[in-house]
Amino acid sequence: MPTIDMEELIEELMQCRRCGICRNAVYDDMGFDGVCPIWRNSTGFEPDFMRGKIIIALALLSGELEKTAENVKALFQCTLCGNCTEICAASFDPKEAMETVRYVLNDAPNPVRDTLAKRVIDTNTPYEEGQEIKQNWLNELDFEVPNQSDVVYFVGCTAATKLHQIPIATAKILQAANVEFAVMENEPCCGSVLLRTGRADEAEENALTVAESIKSTGAKRVVVSCAGCLKTLRKDYAEKFGIEMPEIVHIVEFAQKLIESGDLNLKPLENSTKVTYHDPCHMGRELNVYDAPRSILESIPNLELVEMHPNRAQALCCGAGGGLRSYDSELAKKIAAERVRHAETLDVSALTSACPFCELNFVSGSKKEESEIEVLDIVELLSRCL
Amino acid sequence: MDASIIKQIEDIVGPEYVSTREDVLLTYSSSASMICDTAKPDVVVRPRTAEEVSKLLKLANKYRIPVTTRSGGSSLQEEVIPHSGGMIIEMMRFTDIKLFEDLRSVKVGAGITFGQLDKFLLEHDLWLPMCPESALVATVVGNVAVNGAGPGSSVYGSIAELVLGMEVVLPNGEIIQTGSEANPHAPGPFLRYAFGPDLTGLFIGSLGAFGVITSVSMKTFKRMKHFHHETYGFHSIDAAERFLLEIQEHEIHTVFASLYEDRVLDLFMSMLGDEYGIPEYEWPLRTVSMTIGRLREDELNSDIEMAKKICEDLGGYVIGITELPKGEWELKMWTFVRACYVHGWHWRTLYHHQPPSGNRKSVEKIWEVMDEYGFLGHTAGFLSGHASMNMYPHLYADPEDPEEQQKIRDGHQDLARRLFKTGAVPFKLAPYWKDILQEIPDYMDLLRMIKEVLDPNGIMNPGVLGGI
Repeated sequence: MPTIDMEELIEELMQCRRCGICRNAVYDDMGFDGVCPIWRNSTGFEPDFMRGKIIIALALLSGELEKTAENVKALFQCTLCGNCTEICAASFDPKEAMETVRYVLNDAPNPVRDTLAKRVIDTNTPYEEGQEIKQNWLNELDFEVPNQSDVVYFVGCTAATKLHQIPIATAKILQAANVEFAVMENEPCCGSVLLRTGRADEAEENALTVAESIKSTGAKRVVVSCAGCLKTLRKDYAEKFGIEMPEIVHIVEFAQKLIESGDLNLKPLENSTKVTYHDPCHMGRELNVYDAPRSILESIPNLELVEMHPNRAQALCCGAGGGLRSYDSELAKKIAAERVRHAETLDVSALTSACPFCELNFVSGSKKEESEIEVLDIVELLSRCL
Repeated sequence: MDASIIKQIEDIVGPEYVSTREDVLLTYSSSASMICDTAKPDVVVRPRTAEEVSKLLKLANKYRIPVTTRSGGSSLQEEVIPHSGGMIIEMMRFTDIKLFEDLRSVKVGAGITFGQLDKFLLEHDLWLPMCPESALVATVVGNVAVNGAGPGSSVYGSIAELVLGMEVVLPNGEIIQTGSEANPHAPGPFLRYAFGPDLTGLFIGSLGAFGVITSVSMKTFKRMKHFHHETYGFHSIDAAERFLLEIQEHEIHTVFASLYEDRVLDLFMSMLGDEYGIPEYEWPLRTVSMTIGRLREDELNSDIEMAKKICEDLGGYVIGITELPKGEWELKMWTFVRACYVHGWHWRTLYHHQPPSGNRKSVEKIWEVMDEYGFLGHTAGFLSGHASMNMYPHLYADPEDPEEQQKIRDGHQDLARRLFKTGAVPFKLAPYWKDILQEIPDYMDLLRMIKEVLDPNGIMNPGVLGGI
């Protein structure tokens, strides 16, 4: 992590003019229909959206507020979704500033963050299930996957631990397109959660190990399933740590090219299906990947894509990011439930995404809502068309 | 605040909507008002109904707790800075909207922003034809409480002119309804001036000093779809000011008309010209940036022709740069406010009204004060009604330079004094007008008398109304 220039950080935070546009602006011309998912789903006091969080951050940094668990709560009750950055009229990036504040204040009490960090460092995964089960999904394939190849499929902790259907579908897609690919024997965690929760030093150390492990596979291209892995490996490693990586692509970006080149042919879905698509923050706002997932969905015969509003750069977050799902899981699920309710109004049978972490949270939100809507990753739909 | 009082507050609204947390109180100690003193309340409460507000005010009266009402928190003149030891009543949970299509009106709760209302009315092909520049964050009720103006005001006046009635919780807890809705048998809001004196007007611009406005009923209009954006150049101040008067006299439907001095436009353009795609131009002494809006295209075309003729008859000329007025009309916070944000400074503003002929006096005074005190700033103004302009001087300071900020505070106070002498009028009595208003003691005595009758214990935002 580069050394933080405190003067610069304070100057950044002082760019907030406290207008409050980051709370719930409805701006039809620019596609906004609300901004902060936390504010919408909490009791709605000022610390529940970015304006209040910045006031608190400044007070914590100056010592006006003591670094107690209660006083730092607002900093961690944030998904870092970046919708505030998208609408902010001032010349700074509130979401990025908040991530930096978490790093500067990483000695502030937050046992959840500490547990996550310890797990990643000790066991290569933020999940308590441990590293051992991360390859179990391979047992469900009817073909072998090597450990060395030009193309390496970096599964990601969430898909490998919680949502086996995603790596299985991804593997089937790659095989159907005759792409030779490998899976790492001891795939490490990309370290996204370390970065988001303020453990950037550990994240850098972890990143160096990850980069080395990937290099040892001989990969020229790394395919990921997770929007968080995509952002971390493609953007953060280079920008924050100066680590050079092979080409990092999301499976939807890769599959789009395979479909366009004719290497991946899709059969029609058995039944006519109407779905909607949720833009993961790390893929959309962070990396501007909006068209590839839509292009794939539109290329599936017998499938109709209906857009949620807001969408793309103004899309509301699923609620899982920024460490919130661990820090305040009830709030995270409430945010997901709101998004599920929204999808339900569109009369669709499925809510799709391209991020296992979004999917995991939507499944929780769906349960909370007792919704019958199917929550799916795009690759799951694609694999039904092979 | 005593724990037993907090418990009583929790019993009224539910404990989850009451906070005494140190971090929460800190976030309510300030608002979008910058370079001013802040103060921490003892408690923040988020009620949902007028009945809850009523109980809160009765409690506040019982224990003599100063109350500050707040909704969007975007006000710029210290209106919602609380009192130490006081209670903030935050109104963002009042989110009801009720449309009365047959009455051409809509009733909105105190937590509804202009952006939310606009989206709602759009579905009915209607609109509220005026909004403040802070429309995306400002609530309609909050804007009524400060009597704001903005795009749309050039035809429709300040927000006050669009209000048909309101529900107010008086300081003693009594809930009253003004306008036609005061009649429980009325179909809804259709007339403001009902039952004698204009009680609605008493609360417009009252800054929360006379009670808590929980909802307002507003006029709605068929949504306008035909707009024309244009800039008009003048080499004489007289001609530019006269132009603004004549477009009003000829009832040209100018929904927004701003008057800029050349050096102010140069400053804006240096900050934002490229971003908005405004071509480089040698701006004349005065430029009017104007949006004409009409329901029908033929009316619009007629207005365009007439505006051009008036301009040319006065010796002016059509500049033809449309991006500036288009941005002012369409981009809301992304024009004026963005211009204030982009350079990194904090600011104080000093909203006031002048007739078009007084515009130059405001411009002169701010330059005088900037030169004498040595800080940066500017002013421009827009037509805000029949024959008035809303002037909005901005005074800039480095957010981390206390000396410069003190200069701004001193200069701001001095500027207010000088502007008053030019005949300018505040449309809301922000606290800094206090000393200046000693020149109109009888007027202020009457206001004080009204305040004492309504709020004998002085709990409602004490001091906010020009010291009252």
